[in-house]
Amino acid sequence: MSSDRIIKLELSRLNLHLPERRLSLKEALLSPRPQVVARDGSVHVFKRGELEFLAGLLPEADRDKLPLPILIALEPKLGRGTARISGEVEVKVVSQVLGKEAAAGELLIYRPEVAILRRKLPTTTQYLFMW
Amino acid sequence: MSYKIAVVGDQDTITGFALAGATYTHIHTAREETLAKLNEFFASGEIGLVLITHRVAEEFGFDFRQMLRTKGLLPLVLRIPDKTGYMPKVDELRKIIRRTVGAEIMVKKEGL
Amino acid sequence: MAMALAVAPTRMELLKLRQRVGLAQKGYDLLKEKMDALVIEFFEVLKRIQEARPKALEQLSVAHRALSMCFAIVGTLETKQASKETKRELQVDVSTRHIMGIAVPAVEVGEVERNALIRGYGLHMTSSVLDEASKKFERALKLLIELAELEESAFAIAREFEKTKRRVNALEYILIPRLKEAIKFIMMRLDEMERENFSRLKRIKAMLEERE
Repeated sequence: MSSDRIIKLELSRLNLHLPERRLSLKEALLSPRPQVVARDGSVHVFKRGELEFLAGLLPEADRDKLPLPILIALEPKLGRGTARISGEVEVKVVSQVLGKEAAAGELLIYRPEVAILRRKLPTTTQYLFMW
Repeated sequence: MSYKIAVVGDQDTITGFALAGATYTHIHTAREETLAKLNEFFASGEIGLVLITHRVAEEFGFDFRQMLRTKGLLPLVLRIPDKTGYMPKVDELRKIIRRTVGAEIMVKKEGL
Repeated sequence: MAMALAVAPTRMELLKLRQRVGLAQKGYDLLKEKMDALVIEFFEVLKRIQEARPKALEQLSVAHRALSMCFAIVGTLETKQASKETKRELQVDVSTRHIMGIAVPAVEVGEVERNALIRGYGLHMTSSVLDEASKKFERALKLLIELAELEESAFAIAREFEKTKRRVNALEYILIPRLKEAIKFIMMRLDEMERENFSRLKRIKAMLEERE
């Protein structure tokens, strides 16, 4: 069914803007030109200002545990307007950026918070579509 | 990558931006000629930004909008007022806003 | 046996159709999430335009006034001449950044403001009025370059939004309803066939009982 094929194609393309391998904050800080290459070949450069801001939020020991870009997961199951942050260090950092209580290994955030996160960290966060 | 700047419009606009360092300029007189120049600028590969006055852009209407639709990322194009400050009542940006998110939201925004 | 063969394809069809609706629904849900995210990004750029645009247009207006003054004091011809003699090699750095796969421009412009020496119009023409006009246009140009980046970004996001919306609409108003109609139809037919089958079996049973 060609419409099925089109839908599957569309779905497979949703996350092409994400890299195969993420860069840790530590690696990014050390690199003269911190960037990742996405699966569609595009290059995403991390702004140094954002990296330094993130570094300020984490103890040195945690810096190689924060993978970049931080992924904002959009999953229909969560309901519209809700996104999820996963990963211990990611959650820690995002909680701080949003001024929230540090949660367990996973954090649900809502649309206005997503907007704040994207405003403060435009190059070090990316959307991830999940289903 | 580094690119140059082009300006299309009236004499005053051209002179002003030339003084500021814009490399390519074109004073609009005849339609065919200006269209050809615009195509040249768009195809150039050397030009990163084209400034064009609202008056001229409006005159070209559909043809110009068509060029914008097919142009790709570069050059960037910005419509600007000339010395009279002329801007169309509802410029392209507001039209896009309306289409994307609806008229009610647009009404609340100032400065646009 | 003939009956069994006739029914099976339709049940298979029903299963396939249900899978297809599931897929279409999934696509719909995800594309709606994408639309929501695009709106967030769009408004973010819009906010920055709201701040940047008035400033840039104000500066442009100021620059034009200074230029008019220059025409009046230094002379139109002389001003135009200066504009031809000045160094006109201003470079703007354009790279791309990506929002969810949309390529959006990122510009860097270095020092736009220069002084008369660097501008290069003949020293014999140095005049503070001319300098003022040049300087103000340089400032305006810098703000306009930044505004261009923002406006182009807004257009790129809006384009992607429209594209996504069209797909969402095609799923919501065309494909999914069609699939659901087809499912309804098959279920009705299956029901009908069940009942026909049932009454046929009843008749056969009655016939058999009559024989005995």
